Amino acid sequence: MTTMIRVENVTKAFTLHNQGGVRLPVFDDVNFSVEAGEALVLAGASGAGKSSLLRILYGNYLPSAGHIHITHAGRPVDIVTAVPRTVLDIRRRTLGFVSQFLRVIPRVSALDIVRDPLLARGISPDQASERAKAMLARLNLPERLWNLAPATFSGGEQQRVNIARSFVDPSAIMLIDEPTASLDAANRDVVVELIAEARAKGSAIVGIFHDEAVREKVATRYLDITAFRKAA
Amino acid sequence: MTLHVSPPDTALEPAPLLSAAGVSRFYGERIGCEGVSFDLWPGEVLGIVGESGSGKSTLLRCLAGIDRPDEGEVLFRGGAEPLDIYSVPEQERRRLMRTAWGIVHQNPRDGLRMDVSAGGNVGERLMDRGDRHYGQIRERALDWLSRVEIAGARIDDRPRQFSGGMQQRLQIARVLVSEPRLVFMDEPTGGLDVSVQARLLDLLRVLVRDLGLAAIIVTHDLAVARLLTDRLMVMKDGHVVEQGLTDQVLDDPHHAYTQLLTSAVLTV
Repeated sequence: MTTMIRVENVTKAFTLHNQGGVRLPVFDDVNFSVEAGEALVLAGASGAGKSSLLRILYGNYLPSAGHIHITHAGRPVDIVTAVPRTVLDIRRRTLGFVSQFLRVIPRVSALDIVRDPLLARGISPDQASERAKAMLARLNLPERLWNLAPATFSGGEQQRVNIARSFVDPSAIMLIDEPTASLDAANRDVVVELIAEARAKGSAIVGIFHDEAVREKVATRYLDITAFRKAA
Repeated sequence: MTLHVSPPDTALEPAPLLSAAGVSRFYGERIGCEGVSFDLWPGEVLGIVGESGSGKSTLLRCLAGIDRPDEGEVLFRGGAEPLDIYSVPEQERRRLMRTAWGIVHQNPRDGLRMDVSAGGNVGERLMDRGDRHYGQIRERALDWLSRVEIAGARIDDRPRQFSGGMQQRLQIARVLVSEPRLVFMDEPTGGLDVSVQARLLDLLRVLVRDLGLAAIIVTHDLAVARLLTDRLMVMKDGHVVEQGLTDQVLDDPHHAYTQLLTSAVLTV
């Protein structure tokens, strides 16, 4: 087994300087590891800090204390102390984040959005287009939308473009935040399949899934982060 | 418009392209900027944000070789040996600014020659670096006009016949045609209509990534910073109060001032 993520003594609190300096503790002294091929599902009530933890793993939030060792190019790298260009390199090559929202870039077509990670990893434009189209088709995005920029797409359509982009070439580590929120049952099932396929290829998954049926199909293990709530 | 291909892995580059150490500039008693130190690596895009008067433009002028800092040094590694840009003769520094660097001014009039044709504005930079073949210069100018989405038929028009957005795109072509390794931009989308801004931003984003440029961008617009930059420095009263990965600084700001800046943004 290869450990892909090792979380060591991670504590998070937000200090709101412009609201009287109030300090909001989120969790305290979190420790866990995720192996290649595992799907760890974060559990805990709304507000327990599941999304904050996922963002910390991505280097988007900074923990107040502790370390996150990400296995990148065969070596553990602490994403908490890594310099920005190293974090960006980790994200480009090892660490993917799937949110329910697509960050729309003006004028870029759905197909190009999905193709982009393949091109970045050196796959030929023709092959990249073919794989991107196959992925969009699998997620039932109508072909007439492929060459349009998704700014005018519905929430569910944008979400599927985002999922296609994330799973067209799954990263070694995939952080997934509520990917099925506005999808119908058929597309939800496709997402469940895509996660299973990524796992079969060795991806380590950490995710938050609101939908109980999806959660049960995806999870190989649960972590209830309410356990790390600091006793008041 | 195609999406960019991410630049090659720059994590293992051996040395920073630009290093600032303790850069300070004072206006009498008043601090312009004080004690700014950082390294910029090849291919990295650094944003400097802060409100008017925070010292971000003062800092940019020191870094870009325009205004000599009162304290500190700016090292540029264009070749094997790092060069302290303020210890070399004026002439050498100007040559550097014309060849290895580019500066995109907020007001295109500051970066363009308004009485010279669009083609001439672009071609001039090539002649500066020693190109002499007229046909090739014109061909390169045409290529760059198309890359910044200006019709080739406008090559002989003067910039004053262009709209503000076109002038800004022309300035960008003029700066990038000589293939600089480092570009400084001062509020590149300031003064433009929002719809024109979006087009320019997308163009800049694609060019910066495709060319693997290192860039330092001063902006007060956090959305511009998020779209274009890898890293941010937040300035207040002449000092850097917070810095780090752009999305981390914007999504989980730690300094009181950064929290104020990010919470003041209206989302649409």
